[in-house]
Amino acid sequence: MDREAEFRRLYQANRVAVHAYFTGRVGGPEPAADLMQDVFLRVWQHLEELADLPEDRQRAWIFTVARNLSVDAYRHQHTRAATERALAHEPARLPAPASAAVLAAERAAIVGEAIRRLPEQQRVTLALAAAGMMTSADIAAALGVPAGTVRYRLSLARRSLAEALGHYDDPGEEK
Amino acid sequence: MSLDDDLAAWAAAVRLPDAEAAAIFQRIVATSGPAPAAVPRLAPSWWRDFSAGFAARMIDSTRPARWAA
Repeated sequence: MDREAEFRRLYQANRVAVHAYFTGRVGGPEPAADLMQDVFLRVWQHLEELADLPEDRQRAWIFTVARNLSVDAYRHQHTRAATERALAHEPARLPAPASAAVLAAERAAIVGEAIRRLPEQQRVTLALAAAGMMTSADIAAALGVPAGTVRYRLSLARRSLAEALGHYDDPGEEK
Repeated sequence: MSLDDDLAAWAAAVRLPDAEAAAIFQRIVATSGPAPAAVPRLAPSWWRDFSAGFAARMIDSTRPARWAA
């Protein structure tokens, strides 16, 4: 077996999804890259046993490793989350918009913040769909949940985001 | 701007750049791969004991048997 060629195939087929998964789990892309590297290092070390599995089982194996690694990352992040919760009570002080680029960046920040505030299951599902470019069926197989559950979580997540952006677009509107 | 546009912009911002993904790939394949399976090893004194035992048997074999003496 050409180890590097086989590993390249697995890496290309799964890296975007795995990175999106960690982005959803840990709430940002930076630790996600480190965690993704850890997952694929294990893939590289267990390539012989993985190569014999069918493709869907390979992805299930990779996501099982990802889930296990994210548990440790979660514990590590726990203290940081408490600080972020405290800071969340501070009112956002955004500079006056000066250009379309500033507006776009400001809007992206609002979207990112709204995604970080989603319940974890919704955030992970949304990240896999949006950043991981996975279908509901693919997400269901990777997470081991029914496709209907995935669609429901996506629907809830999109509704929350729409509400957050609605407040941004029309800050005077009170419910 | 629609919600889908917002999500696409967010996804583009958080997605791992190809250059960084390629660097991670190179870092991983530069490692040695699977750890070699542990081969059971003999005790360090095995060869010394074996040689001493063998030598002793050789010497004994050159002596006449006690019953024949």
